[in-house]
Amino acid sequence: MLAYAVRRVLYTIPVLLGVAALVFLLFHSVGEDPVRVALGTHATPESIAELRAQWGLDKPLALQFVDFLGQIVTFDYGESYNSGEQLSAMFAQGAAVSLWLTVPPFLIGLVINLVFGLLVAYYRGTWFDRLSTGVLIMTMSISYLVYIIGFQYFFAYRLELFPINGYEHGLAGVKYLLLPWIIILTVTAGEDVRMYRTMFLDETQADYVRTARAKGVGEPGVLLGHVLQNALIPIVTYTMVAVPFLVMGAFLMERYFSLPGVGDLMITAINNGDFPVLKGLTMVIAIAYSAMVLLTDLVYAWVDPRVSLR
Amino acid sequence: MRFITLALLVFAVACGGGSDKPKSGETAAPAKKVFNYVRTSAHKSLDPVKQFDAASAELINNVYDSLLEYHYLKRPYALAPNLLTKLPELSADGLTYSFELRSDVKFIDDPCFPGGKGRALTTDDVIYSLKRFAHGQLNVKSYVLMQGSVAGMDEYRAETLKGGDFTKLDISGIKKIDDTHFTITLTKRNPLALLPLAATQTAIVPREAVEHYKDDFERHTVGTGPFKLKDLQRRGVTILEKNPNYHLTYPTEGQPEDEAKGLLAAKGQKLPFVDEVHLPLIEEPQPAMLKFLSGGMDWIGIDRDNFVKMAFKDDKGFHLQPEYAGKFDIYAEPRLSTEYWVFNMKDPLIGKNKALRKAIAYALDSAAFVTKMRNGRGVAVSTIVPPPIAGSENDVKVEWYRNNLEEAKKLLAEAGFPGGKGLPELTVEIRSSTTQSRQDFEFNRAELAKAGIIIKPSFQTFSAYLQRVESGNFQIAISGWQADYPDAENFYQLLYGPNKAPGPNSSSWANAEYDRLFDQARFMDNGPERYALFAKMHEIIREDVPVIFVWSDIAVGLHQKWVRNFKRNMMIDVPFKYFDVDTKLRAQGVPGAK
Repeated sequence: MLAYAVRRVLYTIPVLLGVAALVFLLFHSVGEDPVRVALGTHATPESIAELRAQWGLDKPLALQFVDFLGQIVTFDYGESYNSGEQLSAMFAQGAAVSLWLTVPPFLIGLVINLVFGLLVAYYRGTWFDRLSTGVLIMTMSISYLVYIIGFQYFFAYRLELFPINGYEHGLAGVKYLLLPWIIILTVTAGEDVRMYRTMFLDETQADYVRTARAKGVGEPGVLLGHVLQNALIPIVTYTMVAVPFLVMGAFLMERYFSLPGVGDLMITAINNGDFPVLKGLTMVIAIAYSAMVLLTDLVYAWVDPRVSLR
Repeated sequence: MRFITLALLVFAVACGGGSDKPKSGETAAPAKKVFNYVRTSAHKSLDPVKQFDAASAELINNVYDSLLEYHYLKRPYALAPNLLTKLPELSADGLTYSFELRSDVKFIDDPCFPGGKGRALTTDDVIYSLKRFAHGQLNVKSYVLMQGSVAGMDEYRAETLKGGDFTKLDISGIKKIDDTHFTITLTKRNPLALLPLAATQTAIVPREAVEHYKDDFERHTVGTGPFKLKDLQRRGVTILEKNPNYHLTYPTEGQPEDEAKGLLAAKGQKLPFVDEVHLPLIEEPQPAMLKFLSGGMDWIGIDRDNFVKMAFKDDKGFHLQPEYAGKFDIYAEPRLSTEYWVFNMKDPLIGKNKALRKAIAYALDSAAFVTKMRNGRGVAVSTIVPPPIAGSENDVKVEWYRNNLEEAKKLLAEAGFPGGKGLPELTVEIRSSTTQSRQDFEFNRAELAKAGIIIKPSFQTFSAYLQRVESGNFQIAISGWQADYPDAENFYQLLYGPNKAPGPNSSSWANAEYDRLFDQARFMDNGPERYALFAKMHEIIREDVPVIFVWSDIAVGLHQKWVRNFKRNMMIDVPFKYFDVDTKLRAQGVPGAK
């Protein structure tokens, strides 16, 4: 397994190089010119040249790309053009908020949606299944933004159950996160439950389930002891690939609830042509994603002894 | 799922986290006066010389002081002393200003000073700060404000680009007399030279703080301003705390109507009035407005969507809808900006065909644009100078093109394109691709199409737009100018020949007579003589039509009933030091609210 892991780590190098090249090319071809954004309408040729030199944007593109690769290796992406802050500090602060926003509903949703998915699969074809499916499709069909605006207006402003927006670090911040968590749970329920239902249904029609039932195993035993265990492979895949994106937060949620997370950081960086922030965040996400895919493969072997890693 | 949702709801109520209403901190003894205001974008740098954005200026303006400031109540906007005992005196030759610093100004207490105690402001601080402002490596954003203005400053700047200790270099035009007196000598007579000394970029900083905090200085402010930073959060709630040693008092005079409005009730009283200013960053209009409606914010600008819902305009001005009228106060104040269309005079079609440019000018309907696309939150303008500034159409009686379809069609035929036949699509550069800019374009497209003129949009990012316009790679561009200082010169220079692209004269139009008149008028005092020159310049523009003046914006917003001393000042974006809060009224909450 160690050899497999090492090989997979080596495989990620060209992937990350490709991501780096793509980010670099996109920034230099279609992104905002950070110097012009910073200087605005009062720019003079001299001030443009001076700022380009300060930010190293006057160097040949190839040299800038080499510098970028050096930053990837050293994990030192420098300072934000926009605020002069160290990227590591910005990212650490933003990631803490984003994880606080996304992880609790992710975990709660995972448990609830798995159980619910199992139930609707068990009661397939009944009124409960049909009603659940209808409601879930309805919740999926409504835009994220509508939930945010509607919930914020009704639950926070009208009913005053939650603060309208804001954030505090630590447990004091929970009161600001409750409404965003509810929205995330509501929005993700439809897709997740239907996906789990499908996965469970695939398994419930397998031969080994019929065999188990024929041997007299009760339905709870069939579902928990056989179906759930065998459906874990697709569930692990589905769940694990979502994990790296948790750190990215939820852009709309962060923006509307004034949560200083990574998603909002990213969008602001795009608007301002803040390349150090963009490339830093993109590479961190790419690395996290690659690591998570590797971890997923390793977990396969753990949940399913039939899988062997070579 | 419903159970969990219910559980979270119960938890929320149990946490008591609901209300955004005014915090009870203000009812506890001793009452703390807090003013709440929404920041809509994060600051970039709090080092005065490294910023040129509104969000940074808002904070700097409240923690630092410049030598001068704009009078809070007087209109038209006029300079007033801030760190000075009086306005600078000009020498007989019109070249040298003499300054006298107040003796009661102190920097806030900070570990950068010996013993942590803030010391008195001196001439050395002023000279040090102006040297930083002129430093070629420190200030790459705003030096243009004083470029060519002060004797020896450009030469000093050139020297600083070579590196080394800038404090050992001198600006020959700035002379220290003693700890509270100094002079600034100009390169030429220039009554506008004082205006940059009211800008946040020339705010006075102590050398000790710059050297103590080094790179962190742009996040650690040590000023003489009405407030000091208590908690700086780029994307959270920034908190300003009252500076108890602030030197200024509330103005004792203003406009004739200010007395009746209660704006002079606090005259002569020590500033600032509130203990803290809380500044959450809320980038979206909906939550910001909900926060305001619930009483959690004291002042807010109103965006287009909320304006439609909450307010209206009639012949008498701006009003709130009945549902909101008794709850909040609405204000409207003209901005110091003009939006206009620019023709590229180097373009082989549009630049060489005056009749075509005039046809477009007649085909546009500025008044309808303001009414339909801005809900009346603006005025169609007749000169390049926005109405609040001396030298605008309020002072210079001139005419401008107004929507006249027949005239437009006639001129189009004269241009060689009767009914628009043979006229290729004209490309209009637009500096964003927001929904609003797309809707604005569609309105203008429809208006021009009535005359037979077909335009197509070129939506650009801001930087790409600037590159196109400055390189002359465009036909028509929709442009705008926000006053750097409240003087007509700042707007007429947009058509001055030597300023042609890549300078602010994007049309690259050059007219020798216009330039001569501009040189004559630019440094004159406002008055009939100057206005007469403006009228002549305006006629030249009207005849040649290198640009079409369209409209000027009006800032509309709301504040709570409990806010005192509120007067929108477009030269001081957030003058928190003048605001007061009636805590008793505030404790009662928004009138008529739940």
